[in-house]
Amino acid sequence: MVRSILEDVWRREASHVLGALLRRYGDLGDCEDAVQDAAAAAVDQWPIRGVPDDPRAWLIRVASRRLIDRARADSARLRRETIDAARRQDGRDVVDEASQPAVDDTLRLFFLCCHPALSRPSQVALSLRAVAGLGVEQIAAAYLVPARTMTQRLSRARAALRLAGARFVMPSEQELPARVAAVVDVCHLVFTEGYTRTSGESLVDIQLAEEAIRLIRQVHAALPDHDEVAGALALMLLTHARSPARVDASGELVPLAEQDRSRWRRDLIAEGVALLEQTLPRGHVGRYQLQAAIAAVHAEASTYGDTDWLQISMLYDMLSRAAPAPAVTLNHAVAVAMAHEPAAGLAMLDALLADPAMQRHHRLYAVRAHLLELNGDTEGAAEHYRRAAQLTASLPEQRYLNRRLAQLP
Amino acid sequence: MKYVILIHSNPQPWGHPTSDYVAAHQELPAAVRQRLDAEFEQVMSELRANGELIGGEALGDPANARLYRWQDGAPLASDGPYSEAKEHLAGFFLIDVDSQARAEEVAARFSGPAETVELRPMMWPGGNDQ
Repeated sequence: MVRSILEDVWRREASHVLGALLRRYGDLGDCEDAVQDAAAAAVDQWPIRGVPDDPRAWLIRVASRRLIDRARADSARLRRETIDAARRQDGRDVVDEASQPAVDDTLRLFFLCCHPALSRPSQVALSLRAVAGLGVEQIAAAYLVPARTMTQRLSRARAALRLAGARFVMPSEQELPARVAAVVDVCHLVFTEGYTRTSGESLVDIQLAEEAIRLIRQVHAALPDHDEVAGALALMLLTHARSPARVDASGELVPLAEQDRSRWRRDLIAEGVALLEQTLPRGHVGRYQLQAAIAAVHAEASTYGDTDWLQISMLYDMLSRAAPAPAVTLNHAVAVAMAHEPAAGLAMLDALLADPAMQRHHRLYAVRAHLLELNGDTEGAAEHYRRAAQLTASLPEQRYLNRRLAQLP
Repeated sequence: MKYVILIHSNPQPWGHPTSDYVAAHQELPAAVRQRLDAEFEQVMSELRANGELIGGEALGDPANARLYRWQDGAPLASDGPYSEAKEHLAGFFLIDVDSQARAEEVAARFSGPAETVELRPMMWPGGNDQ
């Protein structure tokens, strides 16, 4: 009981506690270590003494003291400034500041973790560690790598931040749009990593898709008027709504066309649609809003056969102008084929076939196989299903493509 | 994206690092050998520092292999090596990198005289539903 309360409190407070320390002491790595120590102390003490009235203040006080202790003990890395600042404050002012509404702490922390000096995987790892408050072992397990590898990724990310002189402040007005975009992309990457997983999840106590939704919700709370943040949250909700139907009892991947739609999460669909209805009329329509709108059209069709493909093809047309990408062209081609005729969709793939970067991409062949099959070209479909199955690195997709190949007349 | 880098080699006698026991490598001028060794150390520390290295192992002499083949409905054991090929699987590295291009760049740097380096993608348990 206390353990789950503790976990809840921790996940809610981690970014605020770290934010409060960072505002005062600066170095991300040192502050993270101190916050981790405070969490360990809470695990030891709260079950015996009970959860304190103000858990955030308690955690900040303990973390601040640990930061001082560590700096004292660690004479090789003695950082005069940190110790002086810590002595002066002794954690007290930090707590006072933190008890003021600190809505932006999470956001500022997120901006720091998504600093342009970092590679995307580093931004992802650091955000999960610092903003979401996950342990290194949890992140490593979620990404199926050893904890040592994840530790190295995190150390490298912190070192890069230090080198770039990144600070725990709001980015300038010029930097802000790019930084928000990076934060949204990081949330979406974490979501996709979790959502596309069909197995191995039982080994992982953290559901990455839900974690990503929790993170983007926090960003949305801090920036309620940002259209793409709202769009990304809507997209994740509308996609996550399909989770209960995307894997069958034996763990096989069920494609959208064959999913049991009665198992879709209506609550998430309603929330996603409502968000879109608030956001779309405001004018600026970016790629996340468009993708969310497409997901909403799928969500509103009671069967696959009822899908409004004409509307979806128009949305993909807008998306291919707002954010052109080979993956968008592929989906656009499917929508056009479904709305009009397979040949029209197939014609759209020709340009991609000529692109050397796409020639090793399994989805190009999977989509082409599907459209050729619809067009009655069994031989061509077989060849393309075979090639797609050869190229994919996804086990469930490979099984699915092999199944389609075997089912051809 | 995860990949395995397989090192196929035939060190004589069997030993690691394999390049120390491959004649074609030993015949290189000392300066070239030193450069290749240093480059290998460089790529390994780069992979570690980047958090791109998942792991790796050196394998024992293929003469010590035990092989299990199915015969008459039951496994039949025999002594290795697995094949009479000139090269044997000598070791492997697992990496997690950003792109196929990066994986190819890394794998190329593992190659050396008279050895074959094989880069293979690892399958993952997820997939798209669209």
